[in-house]
Amino acid sequence: MNIIHVDNLVKHYRVHHREAGLRGSVRSLFRRHYETVRAVDGISFDIAQGEIVGFLGPNGAGKTTTLKCLSGLLYPTAGQVTVLGFTPHRRERSYLTQFTLVMGQRNQLLWDLPAMETFLVNQAIYDVPEVEFREMLDELVALLNLEPLLTKQVRKLSLGERMKCELTASLLHRPQVLFLDEPTIGLDVTAQAAIRDFILAYNQRHNATVLLTSHYMADVTALADRILVIESGQLIYDGDLSGLVERTAPYKLLRLTLEKPVNGNDLLALGEIESADGLKVALRVPRRSTKDVAARALATLPIADLTVEEPSVEEIIREVFRKGGDHA
Amino acid sequence: MRRLMRVYKALLQTAWATAVEYRAQAFLWILSSIFPLVMMVVWLAIVDEAGPLAGWGRADFISYYVGAAVVYQFTFVWSTWQWDEDIRTGNLSVKLLKPLDPFHYLFSEQIGWKVFTLLFIVPVVMVIAWLSPAIQYPLSLGRAAAFALSVIAALVLAMLMSCTFGVLAFWSTQVSNLYQLWIGVGSFLSGWIAPLALFPASIRQVAYLLPFRSTLGLPMEILMGRLAWPEIGFGFAVTCGWCVVFLVLYRILWRAGLKRYEAVGA
Repeated sequence: MNIIHVDNLVKHYRVHHREAGLRGSVRSLFRRHYETVRAVDGISFDIAQGEIVGFLGPNGAGKTTTLKCLSGLLYPTAGQVTVLGFTPHRRERSYLTQFTLVMGQRNQLLWDLPAMETFLVNQAIYDVPEVEFREMLDELVALLNLEPLLTKQVRKLSLGERMKCELTASLLHRPQVLFLDEPTIGLDVTAQAAIRDFILAYNQRHNATVLLTSHYMADVTALADRILVIESGQLIYDGDLSGLVERTAPYKLLRLTLEKPVNGNDLLALGEIESADGLKVALRVPRRSTKDVAARALATLPIADLTVEEPSVEEIIREVFRKGGDHA
Repeated sequence: MRRLMRVYKALLQTAWATAVEYRAQAFLWILSSIFPLVMMVVWLAIVDEAGPLAGWGRADFISYYVGAAVVYQFTFVWSTWQWDEDIRTGNLSVKLLKPLDPFHYLFSEQIGWKVFTLLFIVPVVMVIAWLSPAIQYPLSLGRAAAFALSVIAALVLAMLMSCTFGVLAFWSTQVSNLYQLWIGVGSFLSGWIAPLALFPASIRQVAYLLPFRSTLGLPMEILMGRLAWPEIGFGFAVTCGWCVVFLVLYRILWRAGLKRYEAVGA
């Protein structure tokens, strides 16, 4: 069953440009130069219940704008959005109580009070019965190891601790749909991993649907079964990660450590040279012929060590965006 | 309705806790309640030179402005600044995600602060009033109730005005200044600069129909026993009328504004 349906979503902003300095500000008093920014320019996708979908794209590609349209913060310029059967921007109560949007760079916690105060306010706002509230709180406290944080003032928490509390505050009403915008931004590797594990656990326990954006590739590879790649407001890929890898990088990396220097032409006969550093060489080899090429290399070259690697996902994404940029 | 009561209970607890957390700031805020007393000093100087004005002598001005200092504490609302900041920075997004009109956050914040500060001010003023023979509030039980009700109505009206100006921030970045201008005009017509009894009848008639008197002059005139019951009734009618006007304006602007909201920032 489709939980999220996006059909030809368009969101344009009108921004006005102002030259820097006094002269610019005086000029903009009288004549304003407006420009339309096509933040999202006709994207469509469907997401089924329980899916975890990763939203990738460079800064300004339209990821956050899309999430905001799905959350009802923004009125779409055109197109149709339905989540759980609701039109988000109508902001009906029965919709607002069924999803959450966690923004890594925004804070809903009451800054000067312990996080528990925010949790209690949210319990009242979302009208969560006491028994369910305690149950959910206990679950979240256990999963995120929150116990020692509950009575500390929010402003005294570390960034990672705050994010854990932020997630807790956002999930106490047991939303079915989670929009996560950079949930791990600025966190260290351990905290990132903790948040990731948690998102996965929540998804499995509650069969929740998750759409997340992140700049950390590890978030996406660890969590998402499916990837949406967006570039300049347009969807340029929708599918699983391995499909994206095959489409974007139809090669693998053959890493060789040589026993002694060899003729460059002998290497070129095997594949494209990705990098060469003394006796260490990396070759790009077509995916299909990796096995043959590796065998030939072993037969013809003085090889101390040989490994076959997938190109890193970071690299692939860079590749995708580079190509996307070329198309635009 | 029961849900809203629970929400207010929770929000008031946090507003209270925040006020306690910022007790130094709260103390400074309490000190600022001497502002109306500045006007009192001015009027006392004039009365000393020129004798009673329109039947108002020293004791009347002292009673009026000491009471006004308390009422002013209760009816000065600064939610417009919060709206302005929330909309400009995109922080409104956090509130918009919740199934609750942001009005309630701001209103409970105001109530929390006011209860906190009044706990300090009211006893102080009561002691002053008891010690000073000049201060006289001839209150019956009925008038005391009318006074209390008029102060609550004043807070509600001030809140609605503040939020109506606040949501204009969807269109303009100047709403705080605009609101300040509104309050500035209001300080003449509310009874802040001078009790309305001292104005020429024609201006007073106009002031009685505008919303400003409800936020200061009306409660004070009730407190000082200057109004007959029909006049009190008329004052309440004007207050309620303006509450409805600003409530409707707020709702219309809020809905229209949401369409323009750009949820800036991450």
